[in-house]
Amino acid sequence: MNTTANEAGIDLRAVVDQGRPLPYSDPAHQAAAQFLTNEAHLLDGREFATWLALLAPDIQYRVPVRVTAVGSSKTDDLLDMEHFAENFYSLRKRVERLSTEHAWAEDPPSRTRRFVTNVRTFATGTDGDVVVESYLLLYRSRGDQLSNSILSGVRMDLLRAVTSEECKLARRLVILDDSVLNTQNLAVFF
Amino acid sequence: MSIAFGDELVQKVRDGWIPAHIYNDTEIFDAERTRIFGRSWQFLAHASEIPQPGDYVVRRVLDDSFVVARGEDGVIRVLFNMCLHRGMQICRAEMGNASHFRCPYHGWTYKNDGRLVGVPFHAEAYGGDRGLLRDEHQLLPAPAMEIFNGLVFVSLNPDVEPLRDYLGGAADYLSFYTAPTSEGIEVWGPQRWRAGWNWKIAAENFCGDSYHTPHTHASMLEIGLTPQIKGGQRKTGGTYNAGRGFGATFGLGEGDLETKLSGIGYPERAVANRKRYWPESIKSLVADSGHLPSSMTLFPNLSFLHLWVTVDDEGTAVPMTTMRLWQPVSESETEVFSWFAVDADASPEFKDASHRAYLMTFGSSGMFEQDDMENWLSLTRTAKGSMARRLVLNSRMGLLHNNDSLRQPLEGFSGPGTVIQGFSEHNQRGWLNLWLDCMSADEPATATTTRSDV
Repeated sequence: MNTTANEAGIDLRAVVDQGRPLPYSDPAHQAAAQFLTNEAHLLDGREFATWLALLAPDIQYRVPVRVTAVGSSKTDDLLDMEHFAENFYSLRKRVERLSTEHAWAEDPPSRTRRFVTNVRTFATGTDGDVVVESYLLLYRSRGDQLSNSILSGVRMDLLRAVTSEECKLARRLVILDDSVLNTQNLAVFF
Repeated sequence: MSIAFGDELVQKVRDGWIPAHIYNDTEIFDAERTRIFGRSWQFLAHASEIPQPGDYVVRRVLDDSFVVARGEDGVIRVLFNMCLHRGMQICRAEMGNASHFRCPYHGWTYKNDGRLVGVPFHAEAYGGDRGLLRDEHQLLPAPAMEIFNGLVFVSLNPDVEPLRDYLGGAADYLSFYTAPTSEGIEVWGPQRWRAGWNWKIAAENFCGDSYHTPHTHASMLEIGLTPQIKGGQRKTGGTYNAGRGFGATFGLGEGDLETKLSGIGYPERAVANRKRYWPESIKSLVADSGHLPSSMTLFPNLSFLHLWVTVDDEGTAVPMTTMRLWQPVSESETEVFSWFAVDADASPEFKDASHRAYLMTFGSSGMFEQDDMENWLSLTRTAKGSMARRLVLNSRMGLLHNNDSLRQPLEGFSGPGTVIQGFSEHNQRGWLNLWLDCMSADEPATATTTRSDV
């Protein structure tokens, strides 16, 4: 059995499912929402190195594969497989690759737009740390042949020191809405 | 029906001149449906995906949906996913565990071995057994089904040759990937995604297009993701044809089996297992000939790949294996089923590290695979037009102008089949020749079972 799922230390899903969201007026919520908006701006602007600086060195970044399961089953995650199960090293390698002259999957670059909505923020019990849930619609347009894809999902993030300049993304869990992805590759970040 | 090009062109294809339109041609795809997919062995699932009684996955061969289910007796069966009554799919999940499948339409219910056990209002609607004998009805089984190293294959052709004969020399190479220990492998996944490219491009690429690696995948070397091993290089590797398998090998330097396998990150137990359980030909291939299999396509559309990846800043090398099915949707669309495979008896730590090595390099987000997809998409699009009908592509690497071979097959190569050292497209031509054989041969038989109760 895959151990990746158990390493996170915090059960992001449980916090989101069981917690009470902070009021929109809460400074932590406002800081978290602004962080996500800025992050989307960096990724859409292909400022990957700057984006990398927002990640905690111990980041765990997971995008499990989802399956079509009967309604009575406990989960529709494929427990042993992800589209991404990254740490800082592998995310850094992905960013390094995009800056080479041979990253054909993104050269010519895609035009991307990340729509981040439905932001809910939850206290974690650790001062300054919050769990943030957000919906993500990632539109990716490639080339001039009407080749585009839409990836939709929900993200559950752990942000550290959320109200400070030092705010870092420490955990990300992305639950996609497709079981079969309608796209040629995932040469993009969620 | 003959394929869309005449005898003269068939000979050209055999000589490595490929009409570009075959990578996006409706007529050719229609012919492939029966001539390739209607007669070959088709992979559906690995036994480790359904380890417990009642476990099932739903897979397909083109448009035919099958439930691959492990019965309460532990036996794996492949059942056509269509109710005997009015044809509704009896199972619409991708996977799960069930002792019975109940059709959502009228409620006919089948045990997971395919037997019909429940018919609502049996007495009132059918007069009981006088009108419908439940015992005589079962879901249509796949016309042929066999398992090799846990790999579940079916064929739509009931007269298909036995799987072992079909594999021929490819069997040992399959065991390289899928039988490294007495426990075999377990597979994780699959990741599934689909995009606009023709299935043949992927199948041929995984035959071992080692020529594309230094260019398409140059970024892997640039960011240091592919560890260099002492004395190891692709140039001293080769491309082979063996039975229905076509592949490439990586040239390893000097050293015995232990040195070579531990050098690419295999833990002690994995090395000992391979020494014991790999076929003799594979052991000798790696140890004596110095060839490590990298990728392989089992005709027509099942591929394997093995490589090792730098997984941290300390330079730790970890090997990984992937298995993938190129499932055609149309002449211009393919769905990939991509699995990660690992020794079933490996430690959780090794499995996890090897899984990460897979995710970094192959699969939906893999840094190798991303760039392949980009090529294949662009190629497929361009193959649609009228100019592509005037172009024959040059797939002649390894042939001289007079069709003699540039290099002779290696002597003393321990693996099954013939291998040519260095860059060559003879493996891809081998695959294409088999494709031509199937496309030009008579129509295959269709299943003789037309009723469920015979």
